[in-house]
Amino acid sequence: MRAAGAAAIVGVLLAGTACSVANSDNGQAGDMLRIVLPEEPPTLEPCDASLTATGRVTRSNITEALTERVPDTGELEPALAVKWEQTSDTTWTFTMRDGVSFHDGTPFDAEAAAFSIDRAVNSDIGCNVDGYVFSDSELTVEATDATTLKVTTAEPDPILPLRLSFVEIVPTSSDAEGKIREPVGTGPYQIGTWEQGSSLTLKRYADYWGEAPAYETARYVWRSEGSIRAAMVSQGEADIAVGLAPEDGAGEHSVEFPNNETSYLRIDAAQEPLDDIRVRQAINYAIDREGMLSSVFAGLGEPAGQVVPDGVTGHNPDIEPWPHDPKRAASLIEEARADGVPVDTTITIIGRNGIYPKASEAMEVVQSSLIDAGLDVKIQMLDVNAWLEYLLRPFPSDIGPTLLQAQHGNQAGDAAFTMEQIYGSEGAQSSYGTKELDEMIEKAEQTEGEQRQEAFANALAHQNDKVVRDAVLAHMTGIIAIGPDVAYTPNSATNDELRLSEMQRNG
Amino acid sequence: MFAFLRRRILSSALPLLAVILGVFFLARLTGDPSNLYLPLSATPEMRAEFAARNGFDQPVIVQLIDYLTQIVRLDFGESLRTAQPAAQAVLQAFPATLQLAGTTMLIAITAAVVIGSLAAYRPNSLADRVASLLSSASASVPDFWFAIMGVLVFAVTLNWLPTSGTEGMGAWILPIATLLIRPFGVLVQVVRGSMVSALSAPYTKLARSKGADEKRVIFGHALRNAAAPALTVAGDLTVSLVNGAVVVETIFGWPGVGKLMIDSILERDFAVLQAAVLLTAVTIFVLNILIDVCYALLDARVRQGVKA
Repeated sequence: MRAAGAAAIVGVLLAGTACSVANSDNGQAGDMLRIVLPEEPPTLEPCDASLTATGRVTRSNITEALTERVPDTGELEPALAVKWEQTSDTTWTFTMRDGVSFHDGTPFDAEAAAFSIDRAVNSDIGCNVDGYVFSDSELTVEATDATTLKVTTAEPDPILPLRLSFVEIVPTSSDAEGKIREPVGTGPYQIGTWEQGSSLTLKRYADYWGEAPAYETARYVWRSEGSIRAAMVSQGEADIAVGLAPEDGAGEHSVEFPNNETSYLRIDAAQEPLDDIRVRQAINYAIDREGMLSSVFAGLGEPAGQVVPDGVTGHNPDIEPWPHDPKRAASLIEEARADGVPVDTTITIIGRNGIYPKASEAMEVVQSSLIDAGLDVKIQMLDVNAWLEYLLRPFPSDIGPTLLQAQHGNQAGDAAFTMEQIYGSEGAQSSYGTKELDEMIEKAEQTEGEQRQEAFANALAHQNDKVVRDAVLAHMTGIIAIGPDVAYTPNSATNDELRLSEMQRNG
Repeated sequence: MFAFLRRRILSSALPLLAVILGVFFLARLTGDPSNLYLPLSATPEMRAEFAARNGFDQPVIVQLIDYLTQIVRLDFGESLRTAQPAAQAVLQAFPATLQLAGTTMLIAITAAVVIGSLAAYRPNSLADRVASLLSSASASVPDFWFAIMGVLVFAVTLNWLPTSGTEGMGAWILPIATLLIRPFGVLVQVVRGSMVSALSAPYTKLARSKGADEKRVIFGHALRNAAAPALTVAGDLTVSLVNGAVVVETIFGWPGVGKLMIDSILERDFAVLQAAVLLTAVTIFVLNILIDVCYALLDARVRQGVKA
């Protein structure tokens, strides 16, 4: 009888708390902005802020950079630097903002900026931003006085101020020899409490140099299930949920935005039969991009012909998505077969689970189109790390010809961050390139202004006409859920940089 | 009893070593973690430096010897992701899982004893039908589906419970309900089965003929004898709760060791994964020994078997 009694007590206890807790949780809005992320940031290390999970929380919230790129226009705006100019071929001079202090009370000056750049770019601590933005080139930084910073590059670099928009500024007291988990910055928010595994709270920094943000605190939690993130906003448990798919069911709360990602298939053009340009063209003709977007991606996204979307320097408006022409695809394959190209060799699509919603369904659509065109295609879906082995050099050998499911986001807004890495003969993500294209890319990187736009646009057109190293699928659309109490308009940077100061109370 | 314990502990050492070696080699078969931790455009020098810093440049056998020497000194290495001691991450996550699993088992055992006994006492009654319905449901409903449907019904539609998280007692209900379904279904069947045979056993008949009241017959005589098989099954079920915790913790954002394991696998965080698996394995072995001890206390034949 004792057991039954205990069961009854537990039952009553649980039932009794259920209603009250659900209600009290839901009423916690007010001065706190509640955000639900897909994953906990592994670290808030500012020099790893080019990693999405870290950057989303750190960038422009806890720490800031010297310059800031406006996502919609691509213009570079002053942040911790008020102005900058190129003072010689290889030198840029920046003027620091006055009256800025770090969260620990120390004033921000050119010395701190020099220290931060040195730490992120010239050190051995393995900063993500180092390889991502600077390709491991060294910089010489010098604070000539409290408000003047001179940065010298080995080669002329016309987009150095843009590159520096990725370097988050930390005080000189920060560890220069190792990564930091909880940084001190100059941003509108400082770290409150970080309960490992559960939640992270940021609180408003009272002495912030700019306009004070609307919310006193911001609280992040993380749930890996998209449907749970969406439900949290519908339920009033969270104000913002990021990284959603159409089927997650955010309903009236969901807001779509071009997330600056372009999906594509990398064709391993170094291997038979993909080394024949007719086969690569056939792959492009065979894929029904419109059909895939409407059937698999719930109508979200735009068919694309190049990996660089509109708004990024170098985007070529004249490149159209390849038309869907299955007959032409089949006849190109037959032509190649007649010339002795081994078109019956099995081609493997290397896919990545979760790279975007319905990733494997999209690859099934591709597979079926390519089989219809006369190729033999199988699919292998992998997790991120296993997939990265195929994405990056050195590539696994003896796997036969592959098509790699990939996605590229050019957050920096300049084709320089795309071309060499993806299309260069020696690019980290490239198994094939041509000498001609390499030269075009190299030349474009040295130019600036109108010329730069034109040079990269030409290189992209050349890739599309003469190289055909990939089958670009679509410019993708992101979904965020926004609760009724918050006003926020997502932009192309939202996926990587969730600026709390842009979020306002509704009404 | 000490001889019994010593033998159980010694016989656990071999499987434990197998677990240590298994997770060590399997983790390393999943590929080089430097891809995840270095920028896409990292140079070969950066990769080499990363490998050297984390000991991945050594032959696997050297890495294994290093690891084994480390764990003897109770040093479980550092997390690649957070640069914190792996043991700290695991010890931080472990209580959350234990709380969840412990509460679930407590409820499962209590409820199974009540419903199972009633079902056995009155065949074809309402309790009997509920018991058979629940046990067949528990065998066929995937916990993933059950969790998501629970959120849809009780959080989104009815607004009775929070969707996820750990705040407040309400947050416990859906994770526990999801974890509960399997052990509860199985235990109800086991209790019912053993109670049916216990209630028709000669000693129950004897007790009844001596005029003992029904409560005493059921709970004093029958249940005591029916408890041993249920206890063994409950032990095995508790072990399987760790598997269930992986799903439940991931869906509900519960900061336990199941979620930590999944995150460590995806992030190729070898040290944390190894520490989490090792600690879980040790816990399971301890749990099994405890169950055996309880079993031995309940059933004299087990103790005597050891002495013989």
